Amino acid sequence: MTRSHVVGRVEDIPPGSSKFVPVGKFGVGVYNVDGEFRAVTNYCPHRGGPLCVGKRYPVIESKEPYEFETSGSDEILKCPWHGWEFDLRDGMAEVGGKRIRLHTVRVADGMVVLEGV
Amino acid sequence: MADEVSGETSGTVSSVFDSAVHPRMLTHAQIYDYMEHPYKGLVYNTPNRFFHPVPTGIAPFSEWMEQSRPDGEIINTDSGAHVAREPGSVPARMTDYLRSNGVTSAVLLPTLRGLQPAADQGTAICQAYNRWIADTWLRDEPEQLGYLGTIRINPMDPDGSVAEIERWAGHPRMVQVGVPMEAHHPYGQRYFLKIWEAAAEHRLPVAIKAEGGVGVEYYPTMTGLPRTHIEFSSLHRDRFFVHLASFIAEGVFDRFPQLRIVFADGGFDALAPAMWRMDMDWPITRTEVPWVRKIPSDYLREHVRFVANRLEGPPDSEPDLAAEWVRRTDAANLLIYGSGYPLWSAARPDQILPGIPAEDRERILRGNAEDLYAARLAALA
Repeated sequence: MTRSHVVGRVEDIPPGSSKFVPVGKFGVGVYNVDGEFRAVTNYCPHRGGPLCVGKRYPVIESKEPYEFETSGSDEILKCPWHGWEFDLRDGMAEVGGKRIRLHTVRVADGMVVLEGV
Repeated sequence: MADEVSGETSGTVSSVFDSAVHPRMLTHAQIYDYMEHPYKGLVYNTPNRFFHPVPTGIAPFSEWMEQSRPDGEIINTDSGAHVAREPGSVPARMTDYLRSNGVTSAVLLPTLRGLQPAADQGTAICQAYNRWIADTWLRDEPEQLGYLGTIRINPMDPDGSVAEIERWAGHPRMVQVGVPMEAHHPYGQRYFLKIWEAAAEHRLPVAIKAEGGVGVEYYPTMTGLPRTHIEFSSLHRDRFFVHLASFIAEGVFDRFPQLRIVFADGGFDALAPAMWRMDMDWPITRTEVPWVRKIPSDYLREHVRFVANRLEGPPDSEPDLAAEWVRRTDAANLLIYGSGYPLWSAARPDQILPGIPAEDRERILRGNAEDLYAARLAALA
């Protein structure tokens, strides 16, 4: 059976911050990504690492060899085990074709609420 | 010896493309015919200076197959007559060998004297070999046997390399650029970029082959000099992967989509596990090389070919395993046939994966090489 969980007040989780909710088999990290909330299972689809222990990074891309283009500030969540990168906005790995599990998270009455865990 | 093999090979693929033939100068001193001062006044390694000679056969020619060894032939060139001394130097012997193999096109890839400490001197050696091969082998090609040439360049001298490519790019028979496997940096690094740019611009594949002779190269294995020939022979070609990984990681294939690399010293049997490993690291290290947009092994089909080697892969006594190996390693697309004449390890076409499907053998023995050189030949036509 799944339930709803109150994660906290919106103002307590500003952009760039996150809160860990110890629910479900692995726990869920709730991230504020530029004002939007994303809820991520604490399980890396690569080798099962504790993804939510990882740090957040800007997006690094390249138009041609030796040139780096950095955008955003904290859109990428990087697994602490092997460094796989996942874009918190859509849950997709930057490369490698894997996807993290995103849960439903909504805002109601100024509170962040995690659903379906 | 030639007659003995002709019946076997002509039955399978009648018109074979030999992508790796290594003609040699008639004598070690013939190089002076094609040099100018000040380089004409210097002393050069012989092409036979090896630390790991083959321990079989009859000295001093154990490195070289028997039918390639000269027997007092006198060969005339524009620069005078020479008594042939070096195995692989007598045109008629090579022609016989190639004809007996059903070869109708052959890419000549001479090996030189090892790396030189002086970049200009290394370039001068390349220039001499290019003049020599254009003035002799490419001019006097035999009937029904198309000889194609290699522009040898010295990667330690990038400017000189580009100049040499430009000098020969219009030659109707020069179809590729040749560089040593031995190098002081992995070839993907930016030091070399202008060379690959020039090669790609002229649609010249770049063949990488261990050098003849020994110069100032690094050790042939990553941990020093092996003691015996068996170690040298089975391990030195593994250096190919340092260059291949470098080309991929440095984004050279992304930068120059027309660049084609030919590993002419084998190593194909070591390719698959090495690529598995590199593919595994790619998602982890992407931010280091964000310009690498495909998983590393995806670059192979478009950019890389290996010359088949009869000493590699599963033994012929296990044909099922060989067929499985070919299927799993994409060998039918990545391998091209090259005899390696006049090396002792030279391979006849019938010795290359005899048990695999006929259409795959056809591609390895001819089709893949035709495709590889098609852009260059079309650019010249």
